[in-house]
This record gives sequence, C-alpha cells and structure tokens, in this order.
Amino acid sequence: MKILIVDDFSTMRRIIKNLLRDLGFTNTVEADDGTTALPILQAGTIDFLVTDWNMPGMTGIELLRAVRADDKLKSIPVLMVTAEAKRDQIIAAAQAGVNGYVVKPFTAVALKEKIEKIFERIDAAK
Amino acid sequence: MSKKLGSGLGDFESLVKDGAVDLLNHIEVGDFSSAIKVIQELSEARHNSFYKEVGTLTRSLHDAIRDFQVDSMDLVVGEEHAGSGNTKITDASDRLKYVIELTSSAANKTMDMVDGSVPVASELQNQARELRKDWNRLIQRDLSPQEFRELYKRIDVFLKYADDSATTLHSNLNTILLEQGYQDLTGQVITRVNDLIRDVEERLVHLVAVAGRVDSISGMEHDKSEAEHDDTRGHGPAINKQNNPEVLNSQDEVDDLLSSLGF
Repeated sequence: MKILIVDDFSTMRRIIKNLLRDLGFTNTVEADDGTTALPILQAGTIDFLVTDWNMPGMTGIELLRAVRADDKLKSIPVLMVTAEAKRDQIIAAAQAGVNGYVVKPFTAVALKEKIEKIFERIDAAK
Repeated sequence: MSKKLGSGLGDFESLVKDGAVDLLNHIEVGDFSSAIKVIQELSEARHNSFYKEVGTLTRSLHDAIRDFQVDSMDLVVGEEHAGSGNTKITDASDRLKYVIELTSSAANKTMDMVDGSVPVASELQNQARELRKDWNRLIQRDLSPQEFRELYKRIDVFLKYADDSATTLHSNLNTILLEQGYQDLTGQVITRVNDLIRDVEERLVHLVAVAGRVDSISGMEHDKSEAEHDDTRGHGPAINKQNNPEVLNSQDEVDDLLSSLGF
C-alpha cells in the first residue's frame, strides 16, 4: 500500500506521514501541490491519495477532479484533509467523488477512523 | 442663484437643490434665458466642486504616502533596521515570513523530538514485557537456576536502560516544551503587523470617503457587485466559525453533511 500525501506545508505532510506510520502505512511519498502530485500519480504506483485543498498551483479539489477524470487513476481512493470547511466546498468535494473528508485541525482518531472506513467500503465493494 | 460657490459636498448639494427650484420657476414663467443661465451656473459649480474634491483626494493620498515614508524612516532609525528604504509594508511582510519560519522550525524540532522518543518508549515497553514473562515464571517458581541467573543479569541491564531512557525522554520533553516559545515570539510579531493593518485601514477609509465625494459630484457609478470568492481556490482556515452559517464547526458536522449526501 503506497500512499501519496499532498500538502503545501512540509510540517503537515510530516504529521500525516507519522500518523499513517502509526497506523501501519510505512510506504508514503509526498508532493507539495496538485501540479507535482499528478505526475507521481500517473507513474502508476500510488494506491491511496491524501490531499489538502488550499495549495498554490493546482488545488486539492482540482487534483481530485483530474484524478476522477483520468481512466487510469479514477479508482484511487482520495481522502481530503483540509482547513476548508464551507458547506458548499464539502458538497463540491463529495460531488467530485471524494472518499473521505477530514477537517483541520484533526485528531489521530479522526484520521484513523476515516481511513478505516474507506478501506471497509472498498473491501465491501469487492 | 445668489449663493456663491461654497466648500464641500453639502454646499454643492444645496446649490443643486436651490438651482433646481430657480430653474423650474424660470421655465414656468417662460424665462428661458435665465433658465439656461442657471444650468450654466450649476455646471460651473459642479466643475469647481469636482476639482476641489479631486484636489483634496490627491492631497490625502499624497499625505498617506508621505506618512508611510516617514513612518518607515522612524522604523529604520528606531529599530536600526538594516536595508534603509524599507516600507512598513515590506517590513510587515518580512515579519510574517519570520512567523512562518519560526512556526515551521518549532513544528519540525518538536516532531524530531517525538520521532526520537517513540522508538525509546517502544523499546522500553518491549523489554519490560519480555522481563515480565520470566518474572511471572519466577513468581510461579517455574525457573531453572540457570534461567534465574540470566534473569538476574537482565534485570540489572533493564534497570540501567530504563534509567537512560527516562533521561532521554525527559530531555526530549524539555526540548518540546522550550520550542513552544515560538508562540510568544510570533504573537508579538503578529500584534505589530495587526497594528499596521489597522493603521492602513483607517487611512484607506479616509481616502475612500474623499473619493466618494468626488464620485457623487462627478456622477460616477461604480460596479458594486462584490467579486464572489471562488471556492476552488480555497479560503483557508475559517475564523469566527460560529458567526458563519456556511462554515461547519466540527468533524461531526462534516460527517453529518456527508452522510446526508449518502456517504
């Protein structure tokens, strides 16, 4: 299970990386916005995407839409971890096909819960 | 129209009102040449008021710019700021950059300490669990003399390790504690930048008031429609969430919304 963490702040990437490691996901790669994340995704080894929303260059919602629009990438589960908490934005993310939405500041428990829920759904769909 | 051209917007407005009455009166009695004269006078008054207000606006703008330069000079002298010619705004921008650097460094240092502590705690736990197994066997008198001698040695090693580990953890926790000092430093910087913003806002409000008078005399209308902020670009963390019904307050509310959408 290889996870791509996309956030423009290195400290937030590190926090998420450490939390994922505690959950047993040790294979992670990082990108600082959608523009740098897409080529990594297109290289084809990423199984799970964790992305922020508000980033310079390509934002998280644009990245999500690009992933869903790409035949090779569209089935990758996407968890959004962001400070963006407007009702319209959450609805937009849901419509774009997000698999989970965690608002910052978040707890380790919340992140764990959302990731587990996403995997439960994927397993149930198999 | 006996009134001389007065000063300010109020005078101009009363001039227009009086002129309108005069104009109607002249037209009613059929005195068109006087009516035209009133129109000309009004137009002239408008012209004069307009230039007067533009002059005021220009002066205010000039003062505001000059004040900023004076203030930034104070800053250079007062704080022995390197690189003269820095405006207050670039100084504020530098200060905010410093906040980002300081918070980032504190966060990284804290995480370094956590990264250094987690394996120590895990190892302590592993060794304690291993020892406890044999300790329980000892309690149940299930150890051979040879095993007992080994346990005896291992307990000594473990106690030394526990002591060293506690020292490491103690020192890491202290470093984490000290790193939180960034809150004080960044707080001070942000307070100063906040003062500057308040100051700039006051001056801008004054400029807007003067510009508004120019607009009303010239009859200019501006497109008032506020540019809707694009959700795609994001808004950043919401401040004053409680006062904004559009912003959800917690992960629970987000979860509720998503489940209402069938998630």
